[in-house]
Amino acid sequence: VTVLDAIRRANQPGLPEDSVRLRVACLGALLVVIAACNKLHEIAPTTALAAAALVTGGMVFSYVTRRHPPGWIKIVVAVGAIAACVWFFRSLTNPSIAFALVENPLTLLLVSVLAVHSFHVPARRDLVFSFAASAGLMAVAGAQAIDLEFGLYVAVWAGFCLWGLTEMWVSASSGGHMSVAGLLCTFAAVAVAAAVAFVFLPAPQVSVRVAYLARLGLGGSVGVPGALAGDGGTPAQLAQAGTTSGSTRVGGFLGFAKTLDTALRGQQDGNQLIMQVRAERPSFWVGETFDTWRGESWVETNRRLEPLREGSPFFLPTPAGDVPGGEVDLQTFYVAGSTANLVFHAEGASQLWFPAKNVFFAQDGTLVSPIGLGSGSIYTVESTASIPTAAQLRADTSYAALPTPVLSEDLQLPHQYPRVQALAASITAHDTTTYDKVQALIGWIGAHTRYSLDIPPLPRGRDSVDEFLFGNRVGYCEQISTSLAVMLRSLGIPTREAVGYVPGGYNPITDLYQVRASDAHAWVQVWFPGYGWQSFDPTAVVASVPPNPGTTALRDVAAALRRVPWIPVVAVGLGVAAIVAAARMRRWRPASWALRVTRGTERAGRRAGRPRHASETLPEYAASLDQLMESGSGPWSRLAEAVEASAYGGREPSEAARRTMVAEAKRTRIRRRTAVRT
Amino acid sequence: MITAATVVTVWWLVAHNAGAGWVQFVGVLVFGTLLVGVAGPAVAVGRVRIQVSAAPADAMAGVPFEVHLLASNRVRIRPLDPPGSEVFAGPAGRKDRPDIVVVVPPHRGVRRAVTLEVASAAPFALQWWRRTAVVALPQDLHVAPRIGRPEPQRQTGPEEAGSIVARPVADAGLPRGARPYRPGDHRRAVHWRVTAHAGSMMVKELENPTGRAVVVVVALPMDPDEAERAAERGLGAVVDLLAEGATVVLQTRESSGVVTAPVADRRHAGRRLARAISSAEGPRTILTNATDATAAGP
Repeated sequence: VTVLDAIRRANQPGLPEDSVRLRVACLGALLVVIAACNKLHEIAPTTALAAAALVTGGMVFSYVTRRHPPGWIKIVVAVGAIAACVWFFRSLTNPSIAFALVENPLTLLLVSVLAVHSFHVPARRDLVFSFAASAGLMAVAGAQAIDLEFGLYVAVWAGFCLWGLTEMWVSASSGGHMSVAGLLCTFAAVAVAAAVAFVFLPAPQVSVRVAYLARLGLGGSVGVPGALAGDGGTPAQLAQAGTTSGSTRVGGFLGFAKTLDTALRGQQDGNQLIMQVRAERPSFWVGETFDTWRGESWVETNRRLEPLREGSPFFLPTPAGDVPGGEVDLQTFYVAGSTANLVFHAEGASQLWFPAKNVFFAQDGTLVSPIGLGSGSIYTVESTASIPTAAQLRADTSYAALPTPVLSEDLQLPHQYPRVQALAASITAHDTTTYDKVQALIGWIGAHTRYSLDIPPLPRGRDSVDEFLFGNRVGYCEQISTSLAVMLRSLGIPTREAVGYVPGGYNPITDLYQVRASDAHAWVQVWFPGYGWQSFDPTAVVASVPPNPGTTALRDVAAALRRVPWIPVVAVGLGVAAIVAAARMRRWRPASWALRVTRGTERAGRRAGRPRHASETLPEYAASLDQLMESGSGPWSRLAEAVEASAYGGREPSEAARRTMVAEAKRTRIRRRTAVRT
Repeated sequence: MITAATVVTVWWLVAHNAGAGWVQFVGVLVFGTLLVGVAGPAVAVGRVRIQVSAAPADAMAGVPFEVHLLASNRVRIRPLDPPGSEVFAGPAGRKDRPDIVVVVPPHRGVRRAVTLEVASAAPFALQWWRRTAVVALPQDLHVAPRIGRPEPQRQTGPEEAGSIVARPVADAGLPRGARPYRPGDHRRAVHWRVTAHAGSMMVKELENPTGRAVVVVVALPMDPDEAERAAERGLGAVVDLLAEGATVVLQTRESSGVVTAPVADRRHAGRRLARAISSAEGPRTILTNATDATAAGP
């Protein structure tokens, strides 16, 4: 078989496909994919609508002409596909189109080809191509998806595809059908195979990609160049100082401000999603660093922001004290909630793709955006950080010096800490290297302190470190990391405080680290001559305070009650109560005299210690009561006889007689009670 | 396969371009679908149970006949031996009827099974897998040879008759009843039990006139094609003789030995010839008049 024969055989027209359900499934898959692309802003809504209309019309046209497709349609399809490809390659080579947006031309190319191709799908094989093209388009859309909402589109698309494929078998087997069990087994097999493949699939190679995303989201200009903003949930609002026990604020509890006040006790909305990060490896997402400790708060005194005006991508200078070079790590930040206008990044940021004409750079590596970073903002950072091993840090005896002003700031202490210095010296008495000293102090902190967000307010005028190390030794990341920094500085080791976010939880579906408000963190950076600033997190080894079950339960209950939407709950409850009451009212009927006499009889018997058995008729029960009362007149039997005559004999007594009998039942009961007492 | 390769390539390009987990998720869904689509038919073909619910007991070479099949899953069936037309069998819609496959036996013989090629592309019709299945028939299928043109009759001579065939029985034919003895009746036709009851001589009344019984000797050669032709000629001779009203005694060699027995009709003769096996004596169809035991060469 020659290649020509193979091509000729592959191009032979297939048998016309008559299955309407197969075409509907194929059309559904295509429409879902187009909607997904539109949802991810890869094609405009008008383009999506036009594509959906064309695909639908094309499918109908193909079905109608499936047995005798017109000859010119092939030419139209070929010309349309070629035109789309030419446009695509021209878009790629056009310098006015950013290469970072390669997905959009690719999406448009695939959508165009799909729309054109849908006019010539007479055979089953052509429909298979449409399914395959929809898979490719869904993959292109998935490249931009950063949340689990995209899963809805994937699920619906997969449902249409699986339905279509099973319909394809039904059509190919001349009307065979699959049982429900067979379908379930098939779908389960697909799910298991996909799950196994997903588990064993290596992580995406983030650093080899060619798209460096940068997109402007909600935000707006900050106004003051280099100022921190993002306070109060508004991206462009300037950060203000936090207040004690205030809510989470950029300028407050989170510490993203010019000062980091360790005396503040904020309320943190831990579940709020701040941003999602796609990165090669997890890192601390550094926001800013502080060099000056004032006993209660950290202050950045060496921050002189310089604007970088070259435009995206920005080539970032090497921060003071850092050693250039190392492993490359590419990170893309997708801002989901309002946060500070700090450009968070992994350590050693060297290049930045950012949707602004300039950014502000500080000597310590802090990056500040001129625009507020609201939801939808995207930027990409390339970091080249050295990741030395413990042995390398332990052997780091190279000589290098920080610039004098910087060094003095990173060894600064507001006053003498004799107790702290003595404690640090005693802990590190047997350690000779910087790394060992750091580890010894971290080990001591881990063994002697406890972590808790619920700590008492710092007394006015007290030093936070003294209070933590020699007080109750309970605190959170700010107190713990500050104590380590002060102890290291007391030993003459250059140290600074860093704030930002921990990597956050990794979502294997989206391949993103999800950074929430509760991931805000403070840690310590220690300077090593040969490797620059290295991060250490003493909080990670600190055990939490054992919770009090009662307090925790009450707090959880209170929190749960606070989350209950009371207005609709109460409204629903009142509505249900009203319905129940109405139903009971409808069922309610006034008790007849016979029923009242019967109830009176039973009540009297119960009080006399002789309840009525289920198998007893009323005359039998009345006779036993008469016997119990030793009453010769037999009042209960007379009443029971009247009730029976009314119920089964149709002899209804007069109104006066009925009233008399009801009263007699009541009176007889009273007599019985009197008789017992006497 | 080209489509699958295209999808995988596009997926790989996009996945490495974007590094998105969703791309991998979509990719593994496609992979799972392709895997099930490729491997599923093998499972379906391997697990399918096929049985013949009905088949005729007699057939003729070259003449189509129907075989009723029951398949547990929907599969495509192509009869290989005997060959036949392709058909889909198995559950379809709500009907639960056996599927019919038409086969054409190419030559005579006794069949106890049919060989089928079973294929499936379930559940996605992406890939066909096939295997060969031998399915037993509910009863032996006798495929008679085609009705060939009979050779010019060769009757054995008196000196040859005794050496070639045993003397045929005189009561060839099927008993139908008894009648009073008439002069000329063969003494072996006397029905002694009925005679005892009736008190007078009674003889068996046979279906066919027993006056002219012909022995047809069909000896098949070793060559299969030659044997087929010889059987066809033999059957043609038998059919012609039966049409003439003669009593035919067919002598063939079966696996149990030489069988000499009358044949009542074409079906009976076909069965005998279906069971006949070859022998080293060479092709021969010899007709022997049982009455005068004369023979004639072709």
